[in-house]
Amino acid sequence: MSTLTVEHVARIEGHGTITVDVDGGEVRDIRMDVIEPVRLFESMVVGRRFDEAPLITSRICGICSPNHAVTSLKAVEAALGIEVSERTQLLRKLLLYASYLQNHATHLYVFAAPDYVGGGIGSVFPLATSAPDVVQRALRIKKLGNELTTALAGRSVHPITPVVGGFSSEPAVSVLEAFVPRLAEAARDAGKTAALVATFVIPTFEPAGEMLAMVDSDDYAIYEGSVCALDAGWCRDVSEYRSFITETVVGHSNAKHSTVDGRPFMVGALPRVNQSWDRLAPTARVVASKLGFRPVSRNTFHNNLCQAIELIDAAERCASYIEQFAAVGGSSTPEAFAIKSGSGSGATEAPRGTLYHSLSIDDDGIVTAGDVITPTAQNLANLEADMRAFAPTVAALPEPEFVLRIEQLVRAYDPCLSCSVH
Amino acid sequence: MARVVVLGLASDFGCQVQMTNMEDHLLDVLGAIELEYWQLAASGHMPEDYDVAIVEGAVTTEEHVELLKRVRETASTVIAIGSCAVTGGIPALALSGDLEDRVGCVYGESGALVACGRILPMPVGAIIDVDYHVVGCPIDPAEFVEVLHRAIQGLRDAVPLEPMCATCKIAENTCFYDRGEVCLGLVTRAGCGTKCISLGRPCTGCRGIAADANFESAKAIVERMGADLDLLLERAQLYNNARKDLS
Repeated sequence: MSTLTVEHVARIEGHGTITVDVDGGEVRDIRMDVIEPVRLFESMVVGRRFDEAPLITSRICGICSPNHAVTSLKAVEAALGIEVSERTQLLRKLLLYASYLQNHATHLYVFAAPDYVGGGIGSVFPLATSAPDVVQRALRIKKLGNELTTALAGRSVHPITPVVGGFSSEPAVSVLEAFVPRLAEAARDAGKTAALVATFVIPTFEPAGEMLAMVDSDDYAIYEGSVCALDAGWCRDVSEYRSFITETVVGHSNAKHSTVDGRPFMVGALPRVNQSWDRLAPTARVVASKLGFRPVSRNTFHNNLCQAIELIDAAERCASYIEQFAAVGGSSTPEAFAIKSGSGSGATEAPRGTLYHSLSIDDDGIVTAGDVITPTAQNLANLEADMRAFAPTVAALPEPEFVLRIEQLVRAYDPCLSCSVH
Repeated sequence: MARVVVLGLASDFGCQVQMTNMEDHLLDVLGAIELEYWQLAASGHMPEDYDVAIVEGAVTTEEHVELLKRVRETASTVIAIGSCAVTGGIPALALSGDLEDRVGCVYGESGALVACGRILPMPVGAIIDVDYHVVGCPIDPAEFVEVLHRAIQGLRDAVPLEPMCATCKIAENTCFYDRGEVCLGLVTRAGCGTKCISLGRPCTGCRGIAADANFESAKAIVERMGADLDLLLERAQLYNNARKDLS
């Protein structure tokens, strides 16, 4: 028996090592060892004031910090019984979609594309000379996402303005309206991105995991909705997440593994597109259909294409939210609220999947317990199940090619290991 | 050209993300250095030899300590980026209380299974000498480019010494103390353009305590303005919990 390890897998957020046990040319076992250091966030919020929880937990992840901040705010507001205005909700949705633009563009171009373009090039940097238009397009979408985030939240990483009950400051309508032409350009860029991703040669692969995503009857669900399981057919309220997700500590990973109904499951762009296909912007559906994508797909590798489809949707949706924002009136300034004891939870669809935060607060507003389940933590058990199913199908390939295929599968999840450990 | 490696310890990768967020300058910067290793952005292995090490994140494991010692032996220049690396940042919040209790809080009784070799969190400077600092949570991409240029050109480190109150006045912000609210701008390093305060949020001290800060005078001001002194000290822990002199 020999062991193959890929230490500190490149082009993913965080530190992980792939370990493969091979015996006589056959894969005996394959694991994702999450060696990302523990930071113990759930213990860190305990003893801190309730309004520091979003600031602290935003630091779980520098790549999707707006999603952590907003989800934590929802948990705090649920605990304190605070309702936010429609204006605040619009600004928060815009902020979450701006994060999608930035995250999906970074993953597709910087992390995933180098596996597929030019026969595997290791990084996006060589494309700057060989395909400058592609790099310029990537940077355009990413920059737009960052600048929209900055306009809404003060900076692109770790938002400043979202506070309990609303926003401490909001951009002028004219500032947001100036983004509309750029969002139209981004929708076109996203269409080209989808066309590029559709050229990635991916295997036919139909793993057996369940798929979970938030679903909302009115909208493509990212800010609110209930959590629905594709196979099992159930939908549950977000506040019950501890009762339908089972987390277990496993020896080889600093991140816990999750199951629902005793099965591993996937969260992210593919489960979302599968379950909310009808609520995608029409252009996104048209482009996806032309590229041959039809829901329901079970092929994990389609997660990349679904991210590109969501980019089109995000660009269109942001433009529509800005239009609504110009007309909505009201205020995003927090109204006075009473500090009292309580518990609350919140969920949003972060770029990588459903993100849950919950906390308990005492009469003085001090946090007494906190809990976070991130998308990547939910995906890890499914990722390993996928690896076990997929590895034998590529085991005959020469080692570098075998490793590349496994890494392609890992990257298709767009894993964020620092999120997964927190 | 300087051969550069980028390393992440215990962090959220936010400062490395900020490095990629200098879209307009990214390709220029990459033209001015030889980027030898950056796990976040490129396949490849850590090289044996290099000139500049950019380090993000707090030290939380024995492995980090060993890595940093090797880095210091190899690199002529070490740049610490972000609060985690410079002050211990948010990860250093885990310094208060018992670390094993915290592991139990997150992982339950199975805590012993995970996180081998963990040590109390600390900044990079607690293990090795650091030549340049880019402060903040997260770092500002423009400030990063400026410090990188300083490092490549051999100029001195230039972390602002003064707290941010003076620059806040120039920005014509209303002082939070006028409303009796605690703001850490009194003692926190200037240089961020008072970003949070200008957007209606009091400073939470992410850039670390300024060398010129006068804590006793700050406490007197807080009391005189009728703000909550305990809250000032509690807030100061957020990014400065690795300092022994604030408790």
